[in-house]
Amino acid sequence: MFAIIKLIQSLFGALHSEGTPGQLAAGIVLGSFLGLTPLINIHNAVILAALILLNVSFAGGMLGWALFVPIGFLLDPLFDWIGHHLLLAESLRGFWTSAYNTPIVPLTNFNNTVVLGSLVFAILFAVPLFFATRLGVVRYRATIGERVRQSKFYKTVMASKAYNVYKMFRP
Amino acid sequence: MNGSREPEAGSRSRIKIFRWKAVGPLLVLLVIGVVLWWIFADTIARHQSEQVGTQILGAKVEIQRLHLDLRHGKVMLYGLTVASPHEALRNLMQADELVADVDVLPLTEKKLVINRIAANGLRFGTARETDGRVAAKSDGGDGIAGRVMAETREWANQFKVPALQLATGKISIDSLDPRRLSTLPAAEALGARADSSRKAWQTSFEGLQLGPTIDSANATLEKLKHARATDIAALNEGRQAITRLKRAGDRVTALERNVKTGVAGLQSGLAGLDSAKRRDYAFARSLLKLPSLDAPSVGSALFAPGAIRPFERVLYYAQLARRYMPPGLLPRAATGPQRVRRAGEDIRFPKEKALPAFLLRSAELSFLLHPNSEQPQRYAGHLTGLTSDPALYGRPTSLGATGPLLAAGAMLNHVREIPVDTAGATLGGIRLPAFDVPGVPLHLDPGSGTTQLGFNLNGDTIHARFVIRSSNVTWARDSGFANSQIGGLIWSAISGISNLDLEARISGALHNPDLAVRSNLDQAIATRLRAVLGAQVAAAEKQVHDRVDALVNQRIAAARTQVTQIETQAQAQIAQQRGKLDELQKQLEQRLREMTGGIRLP
Repeated sequence: MFAIIKLIQSLFGALHSEGTPGQLAAGIVLGSFLGLTPLINIHNAVILAALILLNVSFAGGMLGWALFVPIGFLLDPLFDWIGHHLLLAESLRGFWTSAYNTPIVPLTNFNNTVVLGSLVFAILFAVPLFFATRLGVVRYRATIGERVRQSKFYKTVMASKAYNVYKMFRP
Repeated sequence: MNGSREPEAGSRSRIKIFRWKAVGPLLVLLVIGVVLWWIFADTIARHQSEQVGTQILGAKVEIQRLHLDLRHGKVMLYGLTVASPHEALRNLMQADELVADVDVLPLTEKKLVINRIAANGLRFGTARETDGRVAAKSDGGDGIAGRVMAETREWANQFKVPALQLATGKISIDSLDPRRLSTLPAAEALGARADSSRKAWQTSFEGLQLGPTIDSANATLEKLKHARATDIAALNEGRQAITRLKRAGDRVTALERNVKTGVAGLQSGLAGLDSAKRRDYAFARSLLKLPSLDAPSVGSALFAPGAIRPFERVLYYAQLARRYMPPGLLPRAATGPQRVRRAGEDIRFPKEKALPAFLLRSAELSFLLHPNSEQPQRYAGHLTGLTSDPALYGRPTSLGATGPLLAAGAMLNHVREIPVDTAGATLGGIRLPAFDVPGVPLHLDPGSGTTQLGFNLNGDTIHARFVIRSSNVTWARDSGFANSQIGGLIWSAISGISNLDLEARISGALHNPDLAVRSNLDQAIATRLRAVLGAQVAAAEKQVHDRVDALVNQRIAAARTQVTQIETQAQAQIAQQRGKLDELQKQLEQRLREMTGGIRLP
């Protein structure tokens, strides 16, 4: 229940933050990496660092993460298939072999079919996701954003203590 | 946080890319991560080692404590327990302490190169409280170990040896239904045939009409006695009478021949009754519940199911080695790490002149057998060149162990394209595990003995040999078995055998090899069973013979008597009439010779 409230808070918090639609979309895109790919991997440490260091919506990142975790689970067979085909592609064998025998690189687990497949998918998905999200936020703010902000529901949700935690990281 | 409160369009060009204020918290996060790693590294490494070991071996790997000392390139494991992949409540091995010298630099390539492992306090085959099998319970589904387990199990199941069907009940006879005996209808048919023959012969005999011929001849003879030599008519009449007698004799001869043929047929029918009786004996014997001794080989039937197990287990490890240590430098897949998300597959990309993903250069093993006895036996072993990429390492993996009663060695040569796996071991003075003998409710405890194992898997061709020798075998039987007649008989046959010399061989193509099992018990069990059961079987057979005799002998005797009577009667009649004809013919010829003075008249 808390997670759902938090998710709703994140959603409204991000949509009604002072951040630009681009910042919000970038945050969601970075969060989608965390959700789509297996979490405990080096590239996600980089993503997390980027989410903290870059001037993007952290709330959007959390929202993207929360939204894309179940999608990641659902698409795991697809990721496995993509990774399998990429890693065993004859034309890429030299590249993978070099990467596998280069220090540090293997620690990224790129040679795991699900990790590589999901990462590639997340990268390819990032561009349309960014533009679609940005457009959606702009339209939302221009149409029903103000009415939602004035609604009792919004005020109730945002009054909870969890929102205060969120505010520490708002853009 | 970004401090941009200006209208969006105007501030877009001035939006900061970085949140410099977040560097501090990020560094704090990093420090927290390092501290957590420092605190939990040993625990994480222990969990990971257990997880990977379990995944690789298909049985639970448990480590009490693990300490990483990467600064000195050392990893210490304490209280290592590796469960048996095949036995539920038994460990494959336990080790008090393992100290590994690890090359730190290859770790940056996610490669584990261990220069040396010293293992102390190894123990094998110890009992455990929980089921440690993983692959055996996965039904061939998950991971390489699960698939290999399913394959080897299927491989072992192909050896369907017919079990020795030794019934545990008493020797008994099902009820004998007279209608199912063939002698009775045969005897009835023979009796009818004999009666029919008798009637036919009587008709034929009457059809001969010998009475008028004999009467006519008698009259002619009387006439000739009073006729003179010049009475030509009387002479001619005499000759005609002789001719009629001869013709009558010919008819009698033909009838006699017919009777002889008919009698021969009836005698054949009597012989057929004997055959039918023998068939009835066989049928009645089939109603006996006797133990079957018709298994192709008593040894195979008794020991093959148990003897195949060592081969199955060695093959499991050999096939695991082939999966994890494949020859060549092609990319190879292994099951990915366990996680909430799908594990996927880890693809390795070996590269010439690079380090293998895993390499154990050398391991020294020391262990005790019978550690609690007064004179524990100390053994030593070595393992060299265990690697995930034999083609990169360039030398085969070798394993050896020696001790007072142990000599073992193994070589896994996966350097070339066709892998060759060889293993051999002789272990003496150990207590061999007791086992149930399949097909019979007997329990064989080999006691202390010697086992030998030879195994060679060259490509897809297997040659393997497994030997058990013991001189103090003891047998046990279950209580239900003890009360049965067969149980007692088998028990008396086997309980006296104290030596065991069992040899099982497998050879041929791996997918369909030949299995041969030989033991000193084969002939002994078969012979003694036959000897002991012989008297019982003979008594039971006599019993069924008596039952058959009681049902059929009377009918057979009646048929035999009937045939004999008919035969005698027919032959007597024929002989009597033939005698009369011959006597009359003789008297007529004598009188004609007297009348003519021996002169032959035209």
